[in-house]
Amino acid sequence: MLEFDELYKAYGPNRVLEGVSFRVRPGSMFGFCGSNGAGKTTTMRIAMGLARADAGEVRWQGRPLDQAVRRRIGYMPEERGLYPKMKVGEQVAYFARLHGLDRAAARRAADEWVEVLGLGPRRGDAVEKLSLGNQQRVQLAAALVSRPEVLILDEPFSGLDPIGVDSLAEALLGQVRQGVPVVFSSHQLDLVERLCDSVGILARGRMVATGTVDELRQREAGQLLRVVVPDAAPGWASGLPGVRVVSEQAGDTVLELKADTDDQAVLAAALTTGRVAHFAWQQPTLVELFREAVAATTPQEVAA
Amino acid sequence: MSAPQDVGSAAMVRLVAGRELSARLRDKNFIISSVFILVLLLGTLGLQVVLNSGSEETRVGLVGEAPGLEEALAAQGQALGVDVVVSRLDDEAAARTAIEDGEVDGVLVADGGQGPELLVEQSADGSLQAVVQGAVGQVAVAEQLAAAGVTGLDVPEVTVTALDPDADRDGQRVVVAIIGTGLLYGLLILFGQFVAQGVVEEKSSRVVELLLSSMKPWQLLAGKILGLGLLGLAQIVVIAVVGVAGALAFDLVDIPGELIGTAVSVVLWFVLAYALYASIFAVAASLVSRQEDLGTVIMPTTLVLVAGFIVGIQAAANPDGTLAVVTSFIPGLSPLVMPVRQAAGEVAAWEVGLAVVLAAVAVALVVRVGGRVYAASLLRTGGKTKLREALRAERV
Repeated sequence: MLEFDELYKAYGPNRVLEGVSFRVRPGSMFGFCGSNGAGKTTTMRIAMGLARADAGEVRWQGRPLDQAVRRRIGYMPEERGLYPKMKVGEQVAYFARLHGLDRAAARRAADEWVEVLGLGPRRGDAVEKLSLGNQQRVQLAAALVSRPEVLILDEPFSGLDPIGVDSLAEALLGQVRQGVPVVFSSHQLDLVERLCDSVGILARGRMVATGTVDELRQREAGQLLRVVVPDAAPGWASGLPGVRVVSEQAGDTVLELKADTDDQAVLAAALTTGRVAHFAWQQPTLVELFREAVAATTPQEVAA
Repeated sequence: MSAPQDVGSAAMVRLVAGRELSARLRDKNFIISSVFILVLLLGTLGLQVVLNSGSEETRVGLVGEAPGLEEALAAQGQALGVDVVVSRLDDEAAARTAIEDGEVDGVLVADGGQGPELLVEQSADGSLQAVVQGAVGQVAVAEQLAAAGVTGLDVPEVTVTALDPDADRDGQRVVVAIIGTGLLYGLLILFGQFVAQGVVEEKSSRVVELLLSSMKPWQLLAGKILGLGLLGLAQIVVIAVVGVAGALAFDLVDIPGELIGTAVSVVLWFVLAYALYASIFAVAASLVSRQEDLGTVIMPTTLVLVAGFIVGIQAAANPDGTLAVVTSFIPGLSPLVMPVRQAAGEVAAWEVGLAVVLAAVAVALVVRVGGRVYAASLLRTGGKTKLREALRAERV
């Protein structure tokens, strides 16, 4: 189990993390979401020993992370970084050696990953000659080459084209299948929703929601019902008991029903307006959950 | 595939050093500068050889039977410090051919008829004329004395007493020390720059974040300084060996033992000086994030080096002056001044020892304080980190 336990961090008066906790099971993927400046990168940097937490710690298999444990973690920093003039193959092999592989094993592993990530023909080129997308692949190879026990990736998908996204996603799922816990941060919430077993939403230094996407959905207070009634007059649903109109646009209406409200009564009311083109409970997307979760903390923050 | 092993500090430092070495050995600029230095060195040696040989040899042809003239020519040459080679020629025709072919510088025709005649191609240079004139005069005087019945002339030989027999050697020693100091200065600047550029490259490319997730800042710093230092040491040793071997092989110096001694002391001083300057350069470079800003932070250190070099040159002329004595103890300046003092004057062993100890203490201090600054500023990208901030910053 990879555990982030009550991390606190302040830079001067600026409190960046205020008790961030979450756990990632081996063989699962954890999507780390949050607005810009929420503290995702700081959390990951603390895990990698690049920043020091004021309080709290990160543990892997019950052991606080130290230099030796961190060598078994594959890390991709938010600011990509490689030696620009070093050749792709040698560079990947170098990072493998820094993580404890011997010379022969490092070269073999580097060749293997360079091949897997489609960089075979560019093996002998200096990194600076590669396109950004390919540099990103080298970066990933550097993170994966030492067969890490844990992967911590800061925005691994940013800057990739859709094909690059797919191949990276495939590589990460492959790692998860081998039992590696993967933590990655991303703003591409559809991707997080598709790939991740569990999700954490960070807002202003606090985890405002963690759990599987389904758990987050269930935790949502009201239930959303989408009704499309093209012929209805504006405000057709505003008088219904136990119903709040979330949005209404040319008959495309999203309603929030109180727990004991009968959805069939709403359907009956809709039918009285004319044709009903769509009537379904709406699964909130992660984007909506995210907005909801982040929005909920904002007033509190203003007050604080 | 074997499982990843834990990497010890020494292994980590070795890995970093190895990367620095292989990166530099493939760097075109480094290769070009190394080749350039060697070519320059060999060129200088070659030039010395050319200037020293062929310099003062005068070939004189001789036509006619003139007893004692050949010996007189040789004797005159010796007196004037000119190597005289005398060759016999049959007649004037042969003499003209020899001159035209450049086989001789001039031909003395002394076949008894009229007075002796010196044939040259265009004009006789000073030494040729002096040798011939002197020899002819000597023979003539001897002949006339013999004719007058004076023989067994006893000419007292002059004894030469040198007041400062080592003047020449001192000069050579100082020249060697100045060359050594210049070399030291050049290599310190070169390798200091390499270290500084390497640090900024890691910062500006952000690879440092990835590196520090698997190693401590001091390991990175030590590996970098060690790797480049080995390269610098190899270079100065190669230069010293080629220079010394060349000088000995071509017989350019009269003091082989002391030449080697000075070369060794320059190499040893390089080690200390490099440790100090490389650390300072690395720490200074860690304060900035872009190569463009590098100049401003390493300027003060470069100026100290320049000052050391100038004082070192000055010390050659005045090795016992206050300036030279004081600076030969100041860490940072001592490596550029002390070898010159050692070569030029009398320096007690304790003085050298004290300078070495002071320099070593300075290295320890810089590594300790500088290591903190380096660790604190390495992860601060964007803009320039103030030294004070870096010292106060938390240690990760």
